[in-house]
Amino acid sequence: MLKVTTVSHYPKIGDTFEEQILRRSLGQLDRKEIDASQLERIKDEVTRTAIEEQIEAGVEVVTDGQIRWQDPLTYILGQIKGISLKGLLRYFDTNTFYRQPICEAKLEAPESLVVKDFQFANALSSKPLKALLTGPYTLAKHIQDKHYGNLEALATALAEILGEETKRLAQKGCEIVQFDEPAILNFKKDFPIFKKVWTKLAGSFPEGIETILFLNYGNLQGLYPQILEIPVTTIGLDYAGQSENKRVLKKGFSKKLIAGIVDARNTKMETEEELQSKLEELLQIVSAEDLSVSPNYGLEFLPRENARKKLANLSKVVREFREAKVKV
Amino acid sequence: MTTGNLPFLPMTSVGSFPKPDYLKRARTQAYKGEIRERKLRELEERATKEWIHFQEEIGIDILVDGEMYRGDMVTYFAETLKGFEISGLVRSYGNRYYRKPVVVDEVKRAKPMTVEWYQFAQKLTKKPVKGMLTGPYTIMDWSFNEFYSDRRELTLALAEVIHEEVVDLEKAGAQYIQIDEPAVSVRPEELPLAVEAMGIVTKGIKAKTLTHICYGDFEKIYPGMLDIPVDHIDLELSNSDFNLMELFKKYPFTKEIGLGVVDVHSHVLESKEEVKRRIKQALTVFKPEQIYVDPDCGLKTREVQEAKDKLRVIAEAVKELRKELAPSGSFKN
Repeated sequence: MLKVTTVSHYPKIGDTFEEQILRRSLGQLDRKEIDASQLERIKDEVTRTAIEEQIEAGVEVVTDGQIRWQDPLTYILGQIKGISLKGLLRYFDTNTFYRQPICEAKLEAPESLVVKDFQFANALSSKPLKALLTGPYTLAKHIQDKHYGNLEALATALAEILGEETKRLAQKGCEIVQFDEPAILNFKKDFPIFKKVWTKLAGSFPEGIETILFLNYGNLQGLYPQILEIPVTTIGLDYAGQSENKRVLKKGFSKKLIAGIVDARNTKMETEEELQSKLEELLQIVSAEDLSVSPNYGLEFLPRENARKKLANLSKVVREFREAKVKV
Repeated sequence: MTTGNLPFLPMTSVGSFPKPDYLKRARTQAYKGEIRERKLRELEERATKEWIHFQEEIGIDILVDGEMYRGDMVTYFAETLKGFEISGLVRSYGNRYYRKPVVVDEVKRAKPMTVEWYQFAQKLTKKPVKGMLTGPYTIMDWSFNEFYSDRRELTLALAEVIHEEVVDLEKAGAQYIQIDEPAVSVRPEELPLAVEAMGIVTKGIKAKTLTHICYGDFEKIYPGMLDIPVDHIDLELSNSDFNLMELFKKYPFTKEIGLGVVDVHSHVLESKEEVKRRIKQALTVFKPEQIYVDPDCGLKTREVQEAKDKLRVIAEAVKELRKELAPSGSFKN
């Protein structure tokens, strides 16, 4: 019933001294004043804060804030054998960077990628917490491949690894897994490959798990309604920065929808009217039962203070909207 | 264009150098109000002198002031211009954070922003010092916008104020004025906007104009980026193993090029031979008189010693190449 959710990362630091503990600790690690295990405990603490702040701001399905992730690619890929990381590259149109992953041998996954993180975070959270993964296509598209010889083979190898990871997550009590696949919106011609890879991945999904395909850094123009063929329960998209999506979405959206109606790339606050009218529009497309709203990106593009304000604003509008409009 | 005589393969830097520890400490103290502006300024001047002397000592031809007075290449301008506020911290990469400017009102230049520092540095040396600015497109792209209706409107407003600064730098005697646009490589569809904005910035300017572009998919903006109305484009090439060379063979590079020959984001020090190899590789694609040699990008993220080592290896490589390859005498003017 019309929920508020977040979609990926949460600001790792804020502007107060206390809120900068992770930044300081990384400096201390560099100077060998603390060791790696002490740093891990700090990351645990920051994860706790990220979850608490989301809940306090009224978020109903939270994430762990991806406090351990440097970027959407290398946290996952850096754990996989066969991948090495090289020079710095920009991630899409952001002012954030990742190291170029290079695949030089057959990929071999470790025992798990994010299961431990999920278990830790889930135990801390009083609200449902979704596990976050970057999708096989987006990972593959950012890899310089020197082994598999084609994108589909590489993406399929990654899909196998992520499929196994999803099973393990489910075994540890995870009920929602979100896969970020922004790259497909930037290379729409690859849709046939994307669909094959995703069909493979979805073959591993345990019964009853909610799977989210989250699509930002672009719009669905040209991929709708085909995108509904991807075997996931939920599709997420940018409904703040991408005006095309409004034109593209039609009645008969056959999945659950997460609409990013808050702009996580700008500090300008959304007005209540603006958000309300987006909710009205979206309820023309899916039922309140099947709709969640969120920021259009992870919140790390904003200072933590602005992230909190934006989430609180969104929650307030949704709460009032539910009370006024959605009668059960 | 009166830029004086330059040797074969003139050497320069992209802009920033690391701040010495005493200056880093002083900046933190000044931020907390523990020392006065005046004291901070003294230390900024001391650090600037040290960097100017170092560049002279190793034989750099076109110097930079090292940007000892700047925290960040966009925030500095936002703090000095009217119409901006500064946000809380946001992360760029790893453990690096910056305060992002927020446009909350009409953008205006209250006073010159870099002229005094240019003059200070230029007085310390007989060699030319570059005027160093950040371009309108990049300032727009790296700021939150709560005032202007869209990206274009903000970019063009910024172009006007940066133009005023370029005019003042030229009046103050700057022979080289660099207007960095690292963000230009990010959204190919907005390249025409960046070109239009740079046209406003460099309009009527006689000094040699340069721009630095980095971290993007150059393939998507090349050869279109050659339309940017400047004399010289500085590119980061080492970071990507020089794999742009094929592209430049296909579409000739029609401007002077600043050739980034050391990776600024790696602790690893390139060998002199590696730097020479990179320059020789470039010489197969560019005319010798097109090439200026420098690091990939600003060196501010390296330790002072690492930055010096990287500059020194460039200087040593270039000096050897001058002996091996150069026609006698200088030929750039």
